[in-house]
Amino acid sequence: MKYDFLDPDALVRLGAMPLEARQAMTGNVAGRHRSPHRGSSVEFAEYRKYVQGDDTRRLDWKAYARSDRYYIKEFEADTNLRAYFVLDASASMAFSSGEEPRIQFARKLAATLSYLIIDQGDAAGLSICQEKIHLEIPPTRRAAQLNHIFEVLANTEPSGETGLIEALHDIAEKTSQRALIIIMSDLFCDTGELADALQHLRYRKHDIAIFHILDKQEIEFDFERPHRFIDIEDQSSLVAEPALVAEDYRSALQGFLENVKTACHDVHADYHLITTDQDYEKIIHDFLSTRLPKKGRK
Amino acid sequence: MSVSFLQQSFLWGLLGISIPIVIHLLNRRRYRTVQWAAMDFLLRAARESRGKKKLKYLIILTCRALAIAALIFAIARPLVGGFLSWGGSNIDTVILILDRSASMEQQVKNGDESKRLRAIKSVQESLQAVNNPKLILIDSASAEPQLVPSPDALAELSATSPTDTKASITSLIARAIDYIAENSLGQTEIWLASDLQNSDWAPDEGRWDAVRAGLIDLPQNTALRIIAMTSPVTDNASIKVLSASRVSNRLALEIELIRSEGNSPASIPVTYSINDNRSSETIRMDGQTYRYQKNLELGTSEGEGHGFVAIPSDANPRDNAAFFAYGEDKPAKTYFVSEGGESGKWLSLAAAPPGLGDNKCRQLSLREAGEIDWQEATLIIWQAVFPSGEIAQKLRDFMEAGGAVLIFPPRGESMDSFLGIQWGEMSYSPKGQYFIIDDWDRTDGPLRNGIEGTGIPVTKLKAIRRRGIAGDFTTLATWSDDEPFLVRCIIGDGTAIFITSLPDYTWSNLGDADVLLPVTQRLVNLGGARFSSAYSAIAGSPRAKPLGNEIRTRVDQYSESSSNNADYEAGVWKIDDRLMATNRPRTEDDWTVLDESGVKSLLEGTEFSFFTETGTSKPLVNEIWRGLIIAMLLFLITEALLCLQPGRDYHKH
Repeated sequence: MKYDFLDPDALVRLGAMPLEARQAMTGNVAGRHRSPHRGSSVEFAEYRKYVQGDDTRRLDWKAYARSDRYYIKEFEADTNLRAYFVLDASASMAFSSGEEPRIQFARKLAATLSYLIIDQGDAAGLSICQEKIHLEIPPTRRAAQLNHIFEVLANTEPSGETGLIEALHDIAEKTSQRALIIIMSDLFCDTGELADALQHLRYRKHDIAIFHILDKQEIEFDFERPHRFIDIEDQSSLVAEPALVAEDYRSALQGFLENVKTACHDVHADYHLITTDQDYEKIIHDFLSTRLPKKGRK
Repeated sequence: MSVSFLQQSFLWGLLGISIPIVIHLLNRRRYRTVQWAAMDFLLRAARESRGKKKLKYLIILTCRALAIAALIFAIARPLVGGFLSWGGSNIDTVILILDRSASMEQQVKNGDESKRLRAIKSVQESLQAVNNPKLILIDSASAEPQLVPSPDALAELSATSPTDTKASITSLIARAIDYIAENSLGQTEIWLASDLQNSDWAPDEGRWDAVRAGLIDLPQNTALRIIAMTSPVTDNASIKVLSASRVSNRLALEIELIRSEGNSPASIPVTYSINDNRSSETIRMDGQTYRYQKNLELGTSEGEGHGFVAIPSDANPRDNAAFFAYGEDKPAKTYFVSEGGESGKWLSLAAAPPGLGDNKCRQLSLREAGEIDWQEATLIIWQAVFPSGEIAQKLRDFMEAGGAVLIFPPRGESMDSFLGIQWGEMSYSPKGQYFIIDDWDRTDGPLRNGIEGTGIPVTKLKAIRRRGIAGDFTTLATWSDDEPFLVRCIIGDGTAIFITSLPDYTWSNLGDADVLLPVTQRLVNLGGARFSSAYSAIAGSPRAKPLGNEIRTRVDQYSESSSNNADYEAGVWKIDDRLMATNRPRTEDDWTVLDESGVKSLLEGTEFSFFTETGTSKPLVNEIWRGLIIAMLLFLITEALLCLQPGRDYHKH
């Protein structure tokens, strides 16, 4: 295959599982997802009194026969889903401790999920955010969109500082219709600003899913001897004795993760902390499974 | 407390302490470079970890270094106890100088082991700790080096048994130095076990300079180690006979009792034994020292005899008896060489006052001085120009043999000298004034106070005329203008007393007998002592030993004696047909001891170590390697605990 972040077998295995929106979507065309509007699906929604101007074809004559009153029978509207993949392409996404770089892991997730989404008839778009660049591919449901997304993913190389916060605010402003915003980032930014950006998206009634991608070594910090750590974003350096700093490092990281979790929880975001040594197929499988509607509800 | 090591070469391993430090420093220098994304957390951690974490890491590093140090020290087999300092390993020869003077028999408590036995035990344990090197014993009594084949039997040797002798520490150290110089001994140490008794160490002795020089010149690594048995003297009393003089059929004993505790009155029962007839009385004493005179009836016995005085057993059994022997009654005979005149009369009377025994005094002119019977003379009074030639030599020999001489100035000019002493110019007191005496020695010399402390009325003496004196002498009394009145010169066993005025009304009122009589009689007694001294000797001195094939038997009933040690024991002995009472030296009853600083000043400039044996049962040295192994384990456990990282479970994230 042309793209090394795509695994056809995995696509086949995951193809049986739909990606469900957790809330009603407002798409342009009919689809498999719930809409906030009443529509023409087979799913009964409610009765309401007839008012002048209503389409008489929607009168429920059986109800009229029983009650001698005019009722309009309304049905749920099904629409399609618009998914935005927001990919952090700052330099920190290039970090790797031996496993594949974080950006490659994100490419796999984004490519696989976008394939599944377009395959099920929904629209997928991509937003690449770097310090000064904010590249956007608006979501469409055309099959050609996939090639476009894959091409951009393949050509994206991490560099500079993150522009995630600005990108999220930008998406919240520009995207008027409800959408599923799937963020893939290490979230190494100010957690307060991140919370604000998520709140902005939530305010716009978007469904938010976050893949928080970290490296296992970033969590464990199990270095044995002194190291010179070079900041991957601004190239500043620090010589540190791991034995001396490990405990405080872990403590600081733990605090950061707690803050991120709290910010995500506040906006009901679908938060997933993952490490690059995990199996991305399983991660996607779990992600899709948890989004399936519970019994008794479509 | 000092430490020594049996395997000292292993101490080079202490350089291994630097291993963790070097590894640490190398690690710091040889860091790896990594690209890192989560830099904010790292910077925050680095800021926070500077204080306590750095301290923790330092403690870890210290624990590692100490663990290595403890292991190395344990391998080097350290000995602790203050006795063996650095250099205690690989000793080839130990020269043990054992002070076995009478004072070393002092026990901490009555019934305990003596200082001598404790010293021997300590030495045995220490020898075992240093792998039993060759042992050469120099005991203080014989001062002869002897090889001890088995240190275990040290306490059973006659050369380590108790004695009534004194010890000359300078001689013993000098003997050890000579022995080292004469023999090839390898790595040698001198161990000196002593109670630091002041009289044995004689800090004023001029020989210390030579001893110090000898110690400094010893081969390198020859250590001098002093085992100081300085536990205080308690619960002890001593008795000694200062003099025993026979007057007709009575024996006059001058006895001195000394006790270690002088704060409260005490009653001490004293036993007197004369020719095995015993009597006793209880002596009550208030202070620390008590002197008294005891007259014992000799009955009809006219020949020689012997006896002892004794007190009950206490913390030092060696100073509880004093022995004496006496000869036939011998009247004092004084020869008086005089220029004649008034002084001759007074001096003759003072030498042989009517009614005092059978004392005799023969007055001679200077020309008749050759008629003096030097063998029989008790005292010679000389009031004339100094003798010269043969007479001067005979007078000197008389003094060497223990005779007493009382010398007064001649009336005329005298430019001669005797014993290095010269008469000076005649001087007269200002008109209407007298030369008087305001300072004299009340404890020593013929003007000393009596046994009961009664002083001689020296202040009654007034003089208008006197003579100066110059030379090498000891001044015992001075005129008020610090000019000498009475001086002493000691030659051999004898004493010469010079008085710078005359018992003549044109000179002074010395003839009033207040001063002249006691001075003359004391000198008569002093001179007479040379006859009784034939019957007494200091234990261990050459006179106390039999000559050639003479046979010695102990005749007193005080205690049994070991034939091997008889030379050094007090008692009354029959040596062939001679009767001899031997006693410990008087100085052994002076319990003044040197302290560590005193020893340091004596051995200043030499390498020596000092250990105080406290009288407990602890050995001088202890091996402590077990403790060090435990210490090493503790250090390692501490290091491990500090290195343990807090539990991590990233999956819970």
